[in-house]
Amino acid sequence: MQVKNEVLSRVYVLLFGVILPMAAVLFYRTVDIAVIQGEKWRERGKDLYIAPRPVEAERGNIMARDGSLLATSIPYFDIYMDPNSTGMSEADFLKNLDTLSHCIATYVDNNFTPGGFREFILQKRVEGARYVPIKRKATYLQKKQIEEFPLFNLGQMRGGFIARKLSERVRPFGLLALRTVGYVRDGRKIGLEGSFDEILGGQPGQQFMLRVDPQQDIWIPTEDLLEIEPESGSDIVTTIDINIQDVTERALMRALNAHGADWGTAIVMEVKTGAIAAIANLRRLDTEGGPGYYEAYNDAIASATEPGSTFKLATMMALMEDGFVQLEDTIPIFKGRTEFYKLPLEDSNPLSFKIDSTSIRNVFAMSSNVGMATLIDRHYGTKTIRNKNKGPEFFIDKLKQFNLHLPSNIEIEGEAPPFIKEANSREDGWSGTTLPWMAMGYELLLTPLQILNFFNAVANDGKMMKPYLVQEIQQLGETQRVFKPTVVKRNIASAQTIDRARELLLEVVENEWGTANKLRTSAYKFAGKTGTSQINYQRTTNKNRVGGYQASFAGYFPADAPKYSCIVVINNPRQRGFYGAEVAGPVFREIADFCMKSRLEFRPLLDTLTIASASVKLPDGVIGEQTDVRKILKQLDVKTYGNPGTEFLVTEVRNDSLLLERRSVPGDVVPSVVGMGLRDALFILENRGLRVEVEGSGKVVLQSVKAGTPVRGQTVRLTLG
Amino acid sequence: MVTFSILLALVAVGWLMVFAVGYDESVRYNSLEFFSTPIGRQTVWVGISFVAFLLIQLIDWRFWQTFAYPIYGLGIMLLVGVLVFGKTINGATSWLSIGGFTLQPSELTKFGTALAIAAFLNNYSTNLKNTNSQLSILGLLLAPILLILLQPDAGSALVFFSFLILLYREGLPGAYYGIGFGVVLFLLLGLLLPLPVIVLGVELVFILILSFYMPQRNISIFSALVYLAIMVSMAVQTQSVYLIIPTTLILIAMIWVLQRKPNFSFGTLMFVIFIAGSGLAFASGYVFNNVLRPHQQDRINVWLRPELSDPRGSLYNVMQSKLAISSGGIQGKGFLNGTMTKLNYVPEQSTDFIFCTVGEEHGFIGSASIILLFSVLLIRLTILAERQKSAFSRQYIYGIAGILFVHFFINIGMTMGLVPIIGIPLPFISRGGSALLGFSVMMAVILKLDSHRYQI
Repeated sequence: MQVKNEVLSRVYVLLFGVILPMAAVLFYRTVDIAVIQGEKWRERGKDLYIAPRPVEAERGNIMARDGSLLATSIPYFDIYMDPNSTGMSEADFLKNLDTLSHCIATYVDNNFTPGGFREFILQKRVEGARYVPIKRKATYLQKKQIEEFPLFNLGQMRGGFIARKLSERVRPFGLLALRTVGYVRDGRKIGLEGSFDEILGGQPGQQFMLRVDPQQDIWIPTEDLLEIEPESGSDIVTTIDINIQDVTERALMRALNAHGADWGTAIVMEVKTGAIAAIANLRRLDTEGGPGYYEAYNDAIASATEPGSTFKLATMMALMEDGFVQLEDTIPIFKGRTEFYKLPLEDSNPLSFKIDSTSIRNVFAMSSNVGMATLIDRHYGTKTIRNKNKGPEFFIDKLKQFNLHLPSNIEIEGEAPPFIKEANSREDGWSGTTLPWMAMGYELLLTPLQILNFFNAVANDGKMMKPYLVQEIQQLGETQRVFKPTVVKRNIASAQTIDRARELLLEVVENEWGTANKLRTSAYKFAGKTGTSQINYQRTTNKNRVGGYQASFAGYFPADAPKYSCIVVINNPRQRGFYGAEVAGPVFREIADFCMKSRLEFRPLLDTLTIASASVKLPDGVIGEQTDVRKILKQLDVKTYGNPGTEFLVTEVRNDSLLLERRSVPGDVVPSVVGMGLRDALFILENRGLRVEVEGSGKVVLQSVKAGTPVRGQTVRLTLG
Repeated sequence: MVTFSILLALVAVGWLMVFAVGYDESVRYNSLEFFSTPIGRQTVWVGISFVAFLLIQLIDWRFWQTFAYPIYGLGIMLLVGVLVFGKTINGATSWLSIGGFTLQPSELTKFGTALAIAAFLNNYSTNLKNTNSQLSILGLLLAPILLILLQPDAGSALVFFSFLILLYREGLPGAYYGIGFGVVLFLLLGLLLPLPVIVLGVELVFILILSFYMPQRNISIFSALVYLAIMVSMAVQTQSVYLIIPTTLILIAMIWVLQRKPNFSFGTLMFVIFIAGSGLAFASGYVFNNVLRPHQQDRINVWLRPELSDPRGSLYNVMQSKLAISSGGIQGKGFLNGTMTKLNYVPEQSTDFIFCTVGEEHGFIGSASIILLFSVLLIRLTILAERQKSAFSRQYIYGIAGILFVHFFINIGMTMGLVPIIGIPLPFISRGGSALLGFSVMMAVILKLDSHRYQI
């Protein structure tokens, strides 16, 4: 009995003295951690808080028509060290610190000696710093290298290595079309960057990140299995021709400098499509580096001004469309002086002062204000049977027929709407002098683009196109969407009116009285209209104070089969003339010259290649993989010298032997493979994760993605020949 | 049947948790790829364990008693073999690689030792009050412990102390346990509080001198009061509960002894305890610094003196583990939704720290259920053991229950910072084939023995 009792007591001791109490302790501890102290622990967890955070997608490129990069994002890394990283043990830290310091002082930052850096980091660790900058703006390859340093190679948690991926928007062509390319910054969305922000921006991804610093709200990415990859933004291909843009920008810049103007703009448009080949906007700004001209404001689209004489095209077309005038009609111009409601009006062309009357052709060519105003006043000033008793309204209806009251609806935000007064509208400030002054392009507001669009329609046989800047959206080199030219209005006027209007525009250049006659060239014919409008003026019956001028020239070339239309507007030139023909005309000519020249001189590249290979025996300019080329040349017993250290080389003929030269192939951008054989090109491109499509045979003569574009898995089309 | 159900439930929970930790969206789980994933391998092991379970039900129940020593011997041989041919993972040579699968012989040895000790105790000449028998048992235990320590795998070696539960049930004198408990206690106290121990030593001397002049009972009351006063002041000063509980327990035990055996020299007992205790306490610093290896020191520090530990180093695991468990709240984040688990914020979480996954994904409800399941299993095993007619069966079941208990308590306790981090798996739940197979075999034999309990 004694024994049995003892055994029983022992069983009870085990069960109730050991097993169950221990289980109860575990149970209590679970309650304690999960429920009672749960809040406290979760609160502490926030210091090491992990949460899904958005990952910015790579922004798409903005490209010129030929694929040149107008804007691209170059990724870079800011590298930091967390000397108090959560997973970093004292042992790891101390063991690797010396080597790490040595590596950083040697390879990253020469300002430090190894010992100095060591002291620096030790101090930071004591201070409790979590975020010590190691290198800013490191490239991908530099980041890779730094990541391999001892301690850092233990990873983010144990090694304290933090790399923040950032990207920088780069505009390889600098000033070119800068304002039109635009930017997105501090919530402001400007230009194409702004208008196509969603397409360029892509879809942000999501990744779990760890907050290392609650005060500064600094997050570092974790190894995340559930990561949602950001979707890269698409690229947009603009209609901008980088060469025309370059010439346009430079010609405008020169003119602005020469005349000391406030601002200027020049637009080149493809007549048939409405595609904008070039758009330049320059404004004088007083910056730290002194005054200069910058792409600071999109005047081409956003500045509606009184166009002045370029508008006479619309006036004349209205008169012709209504059958009020014929080109050969002779009309009075009163020696260039008249008045409406006691408001004096003068021609600015001194030629007029000798002439009582002349033909419509001459009136338009010499841009007689008196002639135009008189004509308009005569035909639309009062309600007659011929204008269907509508008077001025009949004229306004014509302008609306020409779509001049509507904006161009270009893709970029911020277009200023045109302002055309409604006839006799008190609201719009219509007065007795409104109509005659409208005839010369005053009392109404149009942007340079809107005027150009009207001229373009005339050049395009009356078909008005919608001006556009983006022709294609691409994703990794593959077309996603194509924007086709849009017809806004099939016929803005009768074919006869258009023909005569073009005749008149040609008259401006060809006629010896023409305001742009001095700009005439024998190389090709162009047509257009000058404009010299007064700005900041004060007009009263006895005084006419002028605050400056806006010189413009709008037209197209070649005159017989128009290819491009172009407008140049230069606001407030201060020196060396102010007339449209003197100030804006030369810029137009320079642009037109270039466009016509480059069309004439275009010659296919292939001819030169065949000639070269026929006359040279030794392979010149061959690009190939080092060992391959050497092997072949050795086989062929060709003498070589030079020892380039690069993987690839290029040959250069020197007398009877070949000089082997360096050919470096950059790692983080699309390299140029032009001139290489397909095998090498494929090797290089596909090793960078690019997809390759091939066309033709021979060596690479063209690659669809420009060299220097950041690698993003694009498809590269290679043309061989 | 009850036991088997609990077993199945634990294995199922374990498989799901391993799945939760190892789940990777990129893997197609319906293809052959599955078997190369940790989850796939675990599934294979579940299958193997199940087959082993069934096979054992077919083997004659007397086999285990008859072949207890050979199985133990095989285990020992494998332990020797693993030191020679074994594979080293994480610094420990604990694995034998056989045809793509790795086995841990120490798992088999636990089973073999349980059989061997049960067989030995069943011997008529064995008497646990007898020193010879005690030494033999010590030998049976020390052989695997020492071999495992050579690997080195202190965690697995520690598990062999679980046989103390069996031995207590079978009558090993309680004095050993008292002494053992005292030794550990004073070692720990020495680490925790060097000063009070010295004070106590002085107090003892004082009492001893007094005892020559005062009646014994008065001395005991007087010393108890002084003791309490010092303890309370120390506790207030250090704000530590750790001090009050054990010392008060000792005090109560002493008074109890005194009441029951009035002839026993209380002074002598006190003397022995305090001298030995003070000695141990002073020695503990030496033991700590010279016997334990650095990572073991770290773990003890994390457990007892977290303020001495590097929160980014050794303390990190426990903190992360607690964070993961607490982040589950009451209901948990849901299956496969544990972010900290997913992102490997807790180390070794499919094996030793799998309890965190339960805590994070299934919250308090999940964790409590696991603890409850194990408690019920352990009670059930005790009942099973006590109803056996064969002493061998009873002893064997107690042995296994002890092993399970130690695994259960240490594993879950360490994830919550209750015990130092000792890398042993949570039975049936942690990933790892050898352990799962080992535990399955142990349980299978229990069920087989139990089904024949009337055939003696």
